[in-house]
Amino acid sequence: MTSTVTGFANGNLAVEARNMHVYYGPFRAVKDVSLKIKTHAITAFIGPSGCGKSTVLRSFNRMNDLVATARVEGEILYHGNNIYSNDVDPVEIRRRIGMVFQKPNPFPKTIYENVAWGARINSYKGDMDELVESSLRQAALWNEVKDKLQESGYSLSGGQQQRLCIARTIAVKPDIILMDEPTSALDPVATLRIEELIQELKKNYTIIIVTHNMQQAARASDFTAFYNMDEDRAGYLVEYSGTNELFTNPKNELTEQYITGRFG
Amino acid sequence: MSQQTSYPEGSALKGQITSRQRRGSAWQLAFQVSTIIGIIALIALLYNITNQAFGLVAIQNKVEPSSLVLALEEERLLSAENTVTSEDDNELVAGIASDANAIGFFGYAYYQQNSDQLKLLTVDGIAPTAESVQNETYGLVRPLYLYTTADVLAQNQAANIFLNYYLTHINEEIEDVGYFATSDAQLSEARAAWTAASGLNLQPGQWAAINPEGITGQLSVVGSSTLFPVNERIAERLAADGFAATVNLANVGSTAGLRAFCEEGTADIAAASRPITSAEFEACRENDLRPIEIQIGTDALAIVTSPENSFTTNVTQQELRTLFDTATTWADANEAWPNNPVARYIPGADSGTLDFFAETVFPKDLANLSKETLVELLTANISVGLGRRLEREQRFYDDRLVFDDPDLFAEACASDNPAAGCTMPARDQENVYELLLQEVVAPDVVSAWSLMDSLFARDEVEAFVATEYPNAELTFRSWLTLDFITSPQSSTPEFAGVRTAIMGSLWVVAITVFFSFPIGVGAAIYLEEYASDTFINRTIQTNINNLAGVPSIIYGMLGLAIFVRTLEPLTSGALFGVGDGTTANGRTILSAGLTLGLLILPVIIIAAQEAIRAVPHSLRQAGMALGATKWQTIWAHVLPSALPGILTGTILAISRAIGETAPLVVVGASTLIFVDPNSPFSKFTTLPIQIYQWTARPQAEFRNIAAAAILVLLVLLLSLNASAILLRNRYARRA
Ligand SMILES: Nc1ncnc2c1ncn2[C@@H]1O[C@H](COP(=O)(O)OP(=O)(O)OP(=O)(O)O)[C@@H](O)[C@H]1O
Ligand SMILES: [Mg+2]
Repeated sequence: MTSTVTGFANGNLAVEARNMHVYYGPFRAVKDVSLKIKTHAITAFIGPSGCGKSTVLRSFNRMNDLVATARVEGEILYHGNNIYSNDVDPVEIRRRIGMVFQKPNPFPKTIYENVAWGARINSYKGDMDELVESSLRQAALWNEVKDKLQESGYSLSGGQQQRLCIARTIAVKPDIILMDEPTSALDPVATLRIEELIQELKKNYTIIIVTHNMQQAARASDFTAFYNMDEDRAGYLVEYSGTNELFTNPKNELTEQYITGRFG
Repeated sequence: MSQQTSYPEGSALKGQITSRQRRGSAWQLAFQVSTIIGIIALIALLYNITNQAFGLVAIQNKVEPSSLVLALEEERLLSAENTVTSEDDNELVAGIASDANAIGFFGYAYYQQNSDQLKLLTVDGIAPTAESVQNETYGLVRPLYLYTTADVLAQNQAANIFLNYYLTHINEEIEDVGYFATSDAQLSEARAAWTAASGLNLQPGQWAAINPEGITGQLSVVGSSTLFPVNERIAERLAADGFAATVNLANVGSTAGLRAFCEEGTADIAAASRPITSAEFEACRENDLRPIEIQIGTDALAIVTSPENSFTTNVTQQELRTLFDTATTWADANEAWPNNPVARYIPGADSGTLDFFAETVFPKDLANLSKETLVELLTANISVGLGRRLEREQRFYDDRLVFDDPDLFAEACASDNPAAGCTMPARDQENVYELLLQEVVAPDVVSAWSLMDSLFARDEVEAFVATEYPNAELTFRSWLTLDFITSPQSSTPEFAGVRTAIMGSLWVVAITVFFSFPIGVGAAIYLEEYASDTFINRTIQTNINNLAGVPSIIYGMLGLAIFVRTLEPLTSGALFGVGDGTTANGRTILSAGLTLGLLILPVIIIAAQEAIRAVPHSLRQAGMALGATKWQTIWAHVLPSALPGILTGTILAISRAIGETAPLVVVGASTLIFVDPNSPFSKFTTLPIQIYQWTARPQAEFRNIAAAAILVLLVLLLSLNASAILLRNRYARRA
């Protein structure tokens, strides 16, 4: 593995994977991934379909626990603690490390409730209306929905729904937001808006984003990790460095082939 | 290029698509046919039920309400103050003639004889004339009848000739006697009835031509004193025309005459100044006699005063009622009249004229009588034993007893298990009226017809009733009435209702739902959300799936073993000290509800599992990703989304529970209970069980009320389902 992202101070370390292997039953989906994610930066995961990007991403907030057969080996360090050690409650991890999914999945509730629910179950103390408004503003959705907060979340367009999901995630004030292809179901205009939004969010949050869109990775991220599959279909980290460097001067031949569209 | 890798083109393509379309159309047709078969089956079911639940019925009273009232009114007429009663008409005439404040009544014939001494009043402004009597605009009229039977006419030539002669010449005599002639139309109707019965095929013109001369034989005409003089005249004329048969005329009164005719068989012809009663008719039928009724004239009552009476020439029926009953002065009946005491002159109790007066002037409607009067009627017509029982169920008066001995009653009230009558407030007028109807009048449905017969064969039905049950009243009846729904069970179909059964069904279903819904949904949540895919859990799942198909009777046996027997202290309420000692141990609503709960539990679990499984996984992920616990996610997102599906399954399950009979019979539903269930520890019956029992009864009317009960069950089901669907839609809309 080639990694050039080692140069930032420990204070800027958001989360770190060390020799992580992920299995689905007997099948090893991800093999020996180690990488550090920088705070207040956007890190993009790219790679061919099925190489384990989503799997790695889900490992960061233990969403893989929802898959009965999934098993993680190795360590993921968050504030110096392994989130997979026995005394850690995954609920707390997910509260700190939020996630936005590939397909917009608002709750079948009102727009207001969509945002407020997460805060409420996490015992948020403060003005709920204010929180809902500021979250929706941060997600650049406020102006579009402020007059229909009591309407169903399903009444929004796909792009709006995705921003609602982002607002919902922001509302519980996580450290890190994991985004799994958040724009893959959206048109170019909506995609652009989400990208702008992500840039905006970078000030307050650490963001990891999986994308198949090379331009998006190049345009919107600070760091990029490229994954690939070996012959037994286990995903591994090929190269991880600053986005500029990876796109202009890839160290690995596979990376170069991939970003120039010659395979994947 | 090889053939195998090409697609059809051109006409081959067209043909191929057409054939595919045709296959699709065939399937569509098949589906349509299945739908239509289903609809037809439903319509047939509904038709069948509706046909039974509505239709004509012939209702016959055991005792006519009018005769009940009549006896009472006569009693009051005779006991009113300042009343002179006499069997001697001359005494009455003399009394009335000499007293300006007197009023009295006679048969019209008798008034005619004494018209010079008396003043005739009009009634409601109408004087008795041939016309006003015939068309009954004059209120105080009664028809005069002869009764005979087809058998007599067929066997007794003398009777035949007598009747023919009677009908031919009656109008020449009757007015002379002082009665009113029957219209020609009515007479020819009577003749038709007679010819039909006698088997003589005579045209109207041939009537008078029959020659009575030389006819011999024996003939007895028994009955009404009113008709006696008419009969005498006809007999004399016949004899003068050479009729040689011996005619025995007996003047014994209408009632005795009809008794001789129907019961004793000693009369060929009965004469009556009133229609035959249903009891008399039944007596005739018991002896295989079918009376033919022939109206031969009309009698009218004359209301008379002294010629010295200067203040009125007319009375209304209302005034008549007051004058002969409660009034002490004339002014009590009409303010315009003087304040002089009324002197009443009426014929004696044995006279048919008193009956006639009471019958025509006083209302025959029981429902309007006072409670006191109704209680009096009840006392006179039921046994003391029954009266006591009724009194102990609910008293007639708060301050006194009618049937029971005060000491015995007090003793009964002091016992450990006091009768309801000890504490309940007294019966009201309506209640006593209902009792009187049930116990004394006892209307009985003697025959019932289906809706289709009632609508399309009404003439035949009417003809049948006219010959078979002439005293019965033919009415259109919906067996499904408010009374039917609100009345408790009864052993007479007339009075049976489904309230007890509805309450039973609702109680049982409530317990079923409270038991099986939370447990079923809980189990479904566990199996879907928590249970890992182990051998044990898979076994449980398989078992649940199989349990849903187990015949319901087996659940009944299970319920009997567990709830009725093993858990008896719990299900009988003994554990809580609430079950009343008389209930059937563990055979309670609770046991029934729990048994049905077990029965539908697998269905609810499976339906709930399906619904929970259908909730998209992304929703769970969304919840969890926000830092929600598993339970928070299930509660806030999975369950609300699954609820419509869960409710749909539950609705179906409840519908099944409501319709179940077999397991409840095993668990011990009561066959006949009259008391509404009031706790989970009550005995019970349910609608389907009630229906099942009714259909098994021999009397036809039970099938009618069973049909009505089925409609109630359907409505109950529909409304329960509708409310559940509304509930479901509310949840579905929230999403
Ligand atoms: N729930 C699961 N159970 C079993 N195998 C899984 C599961 N999810 C993913 N996998 C397997 O793990 C491997 C990696 O999948 P993953 O979804 O992480 O790929 P990905 O890189 O996100 O692909 P894509 O770009 O198409 O989203 C694949 O071979 C996939 O079949
Ligand atoms: Mg993926």
